[in-house]
Amino acid sequence: MNICLEYKKVKRTGFIQLFLCGAILAAVVPVVNMVFRTEMYTSIHNTPVQILLGANWQLMAMFNVLVIVTGTCLLYHIEYDNNSIQKLKSLPITESQVFLGKAALSVIMYMSVLVIEAGAVIFCSCHWFVTGDGFWKELCQNFIYSFIMGLPCIALSLLVSEACKNMWMSFGIGVVCVFTALILPEKPFFLSLFPFAMPFKMLAGTKHVINYIYASAAWIAVTSLAELLLIKIRRSFE
Amino acid sequence: MNFLSLLSVEYKKIKRSKIFLILFAAAFILWIPSIINSDLNFHMETEGISPENNFFIQGFMAMSWFMFPASIVVVTVLLNQTERADNGIIKMLSLPASTVKLSLAKFIVMLSLAAAQILILTGAYYASAAIVSVIQDYNFILPPLFVAKETGIIFLSALPMTAFFWMVSVCIQTPVFSVGTGMASIVPSVLLINTKAWFAYPMSYPLFVVSSEYGKLAANLETAQPELIPWLPVAVVITIICLVISCSCFGWAARR
Amino acid sequence: MNIIETKNLVKTYSGFTAVSGINLHIPKGEVYGFLGPNGAGKSTTMKMFLGLVKPTSGSFTIDGKKYPGNRIEILKETGSFIEAPAFYGNLSGEENLEIICKILGLPKSSVSEALELTGLTQFGKRLAKKYSLGMKQRLGLASALIGKPPVLILDEPTNGLDPAGIHEIRMLIRSLPEKYGCTVLVSSHLLSEIELMAGNIGILNRGHLLFEGTLEELRQDASAKGYPADNLEEMFLAMIDEDNRKRGAVI
Repeated sequence: MNICLEYKKVKRTGFIQLFLCGAILAAVVPVVNMVFRTEMYTSIHNTPVQILLGANWQLMAMFNVLVIVTGTCLLYHIEYDNNSIQKLKSLPITESQVFLGKAALSVIMYMSVLVIEAGAVIFCSCHWFVTGDGFWKELCQNFIYSFIMGLPCIALSLLVSEACKNMWMSFGIGVVCVFTALILPEKPFFLSLFPFAMPFKMLAGTKHVINYIYASAAWIAVTSLAELLLIKIRRSFE
Repeated sequence: MNFLSLLSVEYKKIKRSKIFLILFAAAFILWIPSIINSDLNFHMETEGISPENNFFIQGFMAMSWFMFPASIVVVTVLLNQTERADNGIIKMLSLPASTVKLSLAKFIVMLSLAAAQILILTGAYYASAAIVSVIQDYNFILPPLFVAKETGIIFLSALPMTAFFWMVSVCIQTPVFSVGTGMASIVPSVLLINTKAWFAYPMSYPLFVVSSEYGKLAANLETAQPELIPWLPVAVVITIICLVISCSCFGWAARR
Repeated sequence: MNIIETKNLVKTYSGFTAVSGINLHIPKGEVYGFLGPNGAGKSTTMKMFLGLVKPTSGSFTIDGKKYPGNRIEILKETGSFIEAPAFYGNLSGEENLEIICKILGLPKSSVSEALELTGLTQFGKRLAKKYSLGMKQRLGLASALIGKPPVLILDEPTNGLDPAGIHEIRMLIRSLPEKYGCTVLVSSHLLSEIELMAGNIGILNRGHLLFEGTLEELRQDASAKGYPADNLEEMFLAMIDEDNRKRGAVI
């Protein structure tokens, strides 16, 4: 029910269009790359999914993360603008329920983005490569992994947006976090667990995949606790 | 109302906005990985670049590709939301102040914050170079004149990009679209600097300038060098067009 | 029977007491006028009732339910309009009310009822950001009245309305207890406004409750103090003045 409410609230804000445009831009990356570098990529001996994601995922993930940061900023901006958050607080709905509704909406949009990007990978694979057995399984595994890796980023961005009344603060913090993710080295291991760096992780070439999945679950749990703490702290200062 | 008074009013509006917190955070976070991986600067024999030059150029390359343009987009959000919240823009438009001057004053504020970010980054560079010099027992600090020249060129090359972001934020009222357009336009610059048409894409100017400097400092590396023609005239034309559009369209939505 | 009761309710901010140990008794099924000059503590008190602001000390019950333990239950029964209209500018008036309708679990017909009650039916499909000040005020009222809650907390509901609108809303508020069994707590800084709406009043100044009772009791009080009973405004202003002088002397 909360997701439907949150979906209603984002009408005419450009939220859905943002995710769609981000998805299309990200989906265009492998297509354009293949158009201009066909021979280079078709001569590589590997599965089409690995070749395409290996060459394009960093840029595609960049679009995904930027779309997540911008979208989550918007979700709380519409509450703080015109003070509707005050009305919401005087209704029989808890702030955690609102947060969950917004998180669920963001997750659904992120899933849609990944589906569109997967569509582009399918197109490139069918057009320029020969898809063997196991293509669909490999594709699903990679994108499900990318979905799981994106969840901590969504949760943390949303938490930051809730904490900051001004959009430039939440957006600025998001941008700094994205930048931090770009420049953080892979080693030591714990640095690669930074939530904004996790969407850049690909299934192929990642050692200890299960550790990253556990880390994603742990980040979601930590963010949920932080959200409850934030609500409590804010109430005590009101 | 003269332009300088208007400018001082615009600076007053960003008081207590905490934008400098964001700029400082970005500047210092940039150099932390460089400090942690400072030993890697001694393994650049293939590129033929000295450790201190590599330390400098890697940091500024990371800054010029994403952090600096993204900070400018954040600043446009700040300037717009300051006006839109509580309908401040309606009050501004009902005062005897030219909208052209208002738009230009805000653009100058944007440039000031961009300059401030570069200054903060330079300060952070010197602090981290000093730390790394102690850690590695090697002087990583470059002469101030050289650093000033490089940062000055980066700032000047960012003028068309800043004008473009300002134009987008004035013309596109929906915050998510103006921000989204700005951020999306930053991403392809890393690809476009390798094309011949890089000069037509203002978001790639700072990165192109830094990577061309990298080519100059690295003996075994060749990178494209900027040619003033057609770059300079195209950059000037883009800046003028963006400023003309933003000055004519400023406040159009509030006056509809 | 009192539907809202407060016990020594206090709210202090750093170095400043907004509400100072007030004991309110708001009878069920009546319009209670909460009167006081700007900065008296009316909005702060109302915000405490809604859980928007945490009381520093003291307690209150609304319809037998205590805050903060029964906060959600209290909010299910309370419609409110605090300070300024709060809405989603990107949604139409109707869409704004649909959201509240869904949260309160009300039938869809409540939206059109609320729009009709506040005279917004023909503007229901317009975006809220394009509403005039008066329309925004009416939208805020509609969001409070939707579903005809048992308790209504309205903070200066006639602000920004034209004289016809003020009259309309005043008549509406007056009719609510009789028609729908609502209890209305309405605040204003204008005694003339409250006189026309409320049967019981509480007068607040600088966080202190100076008077609580019926209008008749206030008139008797005015007579006893030598003020003309038909000019309660003078009585009210004198009361506030005296209190300000007392507090000024104490300080």
